[in-house]
Amino acid sequence: MSDFQQQALTLAAEQRSPEWLAELRARGADVWSAAAWPTRKTEQWKYTPLLALQNDNPARWPSTDSCAWQQAIDPIELDATRLVFVNGHFCPEHSSELPAGVVRFAEADAGQRELIARHLGTVIDTSRHLFGALSDAWTADGILLHVPRGQVLDKPVYILNVATPEAQPAASNQRVLVVLEDNSQAELIEHYVSGSEQQNLFVNSHTEVIVGNNAQIQHYRINLEQEDLLHVGGVHVDLHRDARFLGFTLAQGSRLKRIDYHVNHRGEGAHLGLNGVYLPRNKQLIDYHTNVEHRVPHCTTDEVFRGIIGDSAKAVFNGRIHIHPHAQKTLAELSNRNLLTSPTAEINTKPELEIYADDVRCAHGATIAQLDETSVFYLQSRGVTRAEAVRMLSFGFINELLNQVPEQAIQDYLRPRLTALFGQQGGELGQMSYD
Amino acid sequence: MTQEVENLIKKDYAAGFHTAIESDTLPPGLNEDVVRFISAKKEEPEWMLEWRLKAYRAWLEMKEPTWAEVQYPEIDFQAISYYSAPKSMADRPQSLDEVDPELLATYEKLGIPLHEQEMLAGVAVDAVFDSVSVVTTFRAKLEEAGVIFCPISEAVRRFPELVKKYLGTVVPQKDNYYAALNSAVFSDGSFVYIPKGVRCPMELSTYFRINEMNTGQFERTLIIADEGSHVSYLEGCTAPQRDENQLHAAVVELIALDNAQIKYSTVQNWYPGDAEGKGGIYNFVTKRGVAHTNAKISWTQVETGSAVTWKYPSCILKGDNSVGEFYSVALTNNFQQADTGTKMIHLGKNTRSTIVAKGISAGRSNSSYRGLVRINPGAEGARNYTQCDSLLIGDRCGAHTFPYIESKNPSAVIEHEATTSKVSDDQLFLCQQRGLDAEKAVSMIVNGFCREVFKELPMEFAVEAGKLLEVSLEGSVG
Repeated sequence: MSDFQQQALTLAAEQRSPEWLAELRARGADVWSAAAWPTRKTEQWKYTPLLALQNDNPARWPSTDSCAWQQAIDPIELDATRLVFVNGHFCPEHSSELPAGVVRFAEADAGQRELIARHLGTVIDTSRHLFGALSDAWTADGILLHVPRGQVLDKPVYILNVATPEAQPAASNQRVLVVLEDNSQAELIEHYVSGSEQQNLFVNSHTEVIVGNNAQIQHYRINLEQEDLLHVGGVHVDLHRDARFLGFTLAQGSRLKRIDYHVNHRGEGAHLGLNGVYLPRNKQLIDYHTNVEHRVPHCTTDEVFRGIIGDSAKAVFNGRIHIHPHAQKTLAELSNRNLLTSPTAEINTKPELEIYADDVRCAHGATIAQLDETSVFYLQSRGVTRAEAVRMLSFGFINELLNQVPEQAIQDYLRPRLTALFGQQGGELGQMSYD
Repeated sequence: MTQEVENLIKKDYAAGFHTAIESDTLPPGLNEDVVRFISAKKEEPEWMLEWRLKAYRAWLEMKEPTWAEVQYPEIDFQAISYYSAPKSMADRPQSLDEVDPELLATYEKLGIPLHEQEMLAGVAVDAVFDSVSVVTTFRAKLEEAGVIFCPISEAVRRFPELVKKYLGTVVPQKDNYYAALNSAVFSDGSFVYIPKGVRCPMELSTYFRINEMNTGQFERTLIIADEGSHVSYLEGCTAPQRDENQLHAAVVELIALDNAQIKYSTVQNWYPGDAEGKGGIYNFVTKRGVAHTNAKISWTQVETGSAVTWKYPSCILKGDNSVGEFYSVALTNNFQQADTGTKMIHLGKNTRSTIVAKGISAGRSNSSYRGLVRINPGAEGARNYTQCDSLLIGDRCGAHTFPYIESKNPSAVIEHEATTSKVSDDQLFLCQQRGLDAEKAVSMIVNGFCREVFKELPMEFAVEAGKLLEVSLEGSVG
C-alpha cells in the first residue's frame, strides 16, 4: 500500500459518519487498500502520474468551516435549487431551500436512507475506478436527488463546489446520487470553481446516476478550479430502457484533473449524448477517460470531445466503447479533436473500440492539428489581425459544442470566460506558428 | 446452411501435410549449452556467440508480455526443440537435381516455384526449410548487381563487419521477451544488403516453412538498403497440420539509409488450428525498420493464418522527410486471435506516415488493431493518417481497436479514423439478386474491402492474397 493509500484510510477513520453508511465505507476501504497504486504501467493511468498527490500528501480534512470566500467567485446565474459547498463543507446560508427529493445524506429521513442504502455504490465499478472506492470509503455525507415516477423536476439542481485556500494540504470528498424513476426528468449542474490563489486541496468527487425507463437527465459538469488543486472525479451512469443521459462537461485549470465518465447501457433503446471540452494551459494536466458499456441491443452513443492544449500543458483523452455480445443494432460514434498551440504542449489520445457483436455501426475518429492556415489567411484578407483571427478560430472550435448546450444560462456564463481565455492566449498563438 | 457450405467448413487445411525427412534435431529444452550448440553448428565467430548469450541472459530475466488481447495456454519454453536441420544438409546439394526429392515434392505441393522459378517473374527464392537455407537461386545475377542475398548464418561468416554493425541496432536484444529469445536462439533467416544507389534487379523472396515436429522456428532477417538504393522483399509461408501448438518468434530488422527505399511484403498463412481451435501456430513477431533522411519503409501484410498473432511492424522515422507506410489485412476465422498493428515513431522533421489496417473477423475469432503514433517534439511538420476498418461476419466474433496517439509537436497533423460494421445486407442482396451465391458475394465484398491494401502488394502476391482470403473465409457465411 502506498503512503497515500494509508493516509486516506487514516482520514476515513477521523470522519464522523452515520451508522447506516458504515457498510459502504468498509467495502470501499477494503477495495482501496487492496488495490495496487497506479503507476505508468497501469493502463488507466499511463499518461497521468499521481506523483503530485503522493508529494502533496493531503493528510487532513479542510479546516474551513466558514462559508466565506476571499476572491470574487460568480455562480452561474440561473433559476435553480442551489446547494453550495466550500471545501466540502455545506453552506446553508448560500443555498436555497431544498425541494422534496433533494436532500443531504445527513438529513435524510428513513425512507430516503433506505433509498440511498439501496442504490449508493451500485453504479460505480470500484474494480475499475480506484478513486470510486476511495469515495465509498470517504462518504460521510452527500446529496441525493430523487425524482419519483412520472415527475419532472421543475427547477434544475445546481451544486456549486467552491475551493478556498487551505494552510496545509487537505482533502475533500463530494458524493452525489441521482435516482430518476421511470418517466421522470431532471437537470443537474455540478460546478467546481475556485479563485486563483493557492488552494492546497485534493478533491475526490463522484456522481452516480440511475436513469429509469424512459427517464431523462440533462447533466452538466463544469470544472473550473484554478491552479494548484488536484481533482479526481467520475460520473457513473446506469441507463435503463429508453433512458437518456445528455451530458456536457468542460474542464479548465488546475494542476491535475482526472474525470471519468462510465456509462452502462442496461436497457434497450437507451441513449447517451456527451459533449466535452478541455482547455489545459500552463503546466496543467487534464485527463478525460470515458467508457461506454453497450450491454444490450438497440442503444446509441454519440460522444464528442474537443481540446485546445497550450503552453506546457498536457491532455489525455481515452474514449472506450465496449459492445458486448448480443448488443446488436448498436450505433456508437466517438469523435475527439485536438488543437496543439505550443511547442511544449502534449496530447495523448486513445479512442478504443471493443466489439463483440456483428450487426453494429461503430466509428471513432481522432485528429490532432493546428488551426487551418487557409482559414486564418481568409480572415486576414478581410482585415482581421492574425492574433484576432487565431482567437476567433480557436473560440469557434469550442463554440460549436457550446452552442449545443441547451441551458442558456450556462452558455452565457461560459462564453465570456472562454473568450477572455483565448484573448490571453491569442497573441502567443499568433506568434507561435504563423509568423 | 447448405450441404455444400457444410462440406467447405469441414474442409481440411489445404496446405496441411507433413513431410517425413530425417532431421538433425536437438532434444527439447533451453539453456546456455543449447545457445552454444546452435552457434557452434552455424560455425559462428566468438562475438556472435557472446551476442547470443547476452540476449539469453537478458531473456531469463524478462517476463512474457500479457497486455495483448489474446489468450493461449502457457508456453513451456523447455518443451521446445531449438534446432533442427534437414539431414541432407551434410552434403549440401549443388543444384536442384541433388535436392532431396521429397523436399522438392513439398515445395511442389505448396506451389513454390523452385523448379521453374528461373522462368517465373524474376523472383529469387531463398527457401528456408525448417532452420537451414537449403538452396539459394539467382545468386549470380544478384551478385552482378552487387546485392548480397544470403542466409544470415552465411552472412555472419562472410560479412561479419556488416552484420556486426547493424544486427540488433533496430531491435535490440532486450527489446521484448520474444525478441530476446530470438536473439539467443535464432536459427537462420535472410540477410540482404543493397549497395549505394543500386536498384535491386528483382524482387527478393523467401518462403518459410515450419516442418519439424515441436520445433520453434526463429528466423532473423536483416535488410540493409544503403544510400539511394531500392529493394522489394517478399515473405510468405504455410505450415503443415498438426495438433501441438508451435511457437514462431521471428525478428525482422530493416535499415533504410539516406534516400533508400525498402518495401517489405508478407503473406502469412500458417496453420490456424482446426474448427475447434485446436492446434495452430503461435506467431510472436517483432518487425521494425529505421528510415534515415528521405528514406521510405513500407510494410504490407496479409495475415490469414496462425492461431495467435502478435505482430506490430513498425517504423522509426529518424531522418528528416522520411516516410513510413503500413498496409495490413488481418483475417481471423474459427478460434483465431490476432493482435496486430503498427508503431510510427516520428523523430525527424516533415516525416510522414500512412496506416491502413483492415480487420475481418469471422466465426469465434477476435482481431485487434493496436497501434501507436508518436510525434516527438523535434518532428516539425509531421503528418500521419490512420484508417482502420473492421468487418464482422457472424455474431460470435470480436473486433477491437486500440490506437495510441501521442503528440508533442504543435505543427504535426494527425488523423485517425476507425469504423466497424458488418457486411451490409443491401450489398449482399444486390449481389445475390444478380445471381451470385452468398459465399461468392461475401468473398467479393471482402476483397473489395481489402482492395486498398492488396493494391500495395506485388503482383503475384496480390493474386495469392485474394485467393487466400476466399479459402480462409470458406464456410463462415451461411
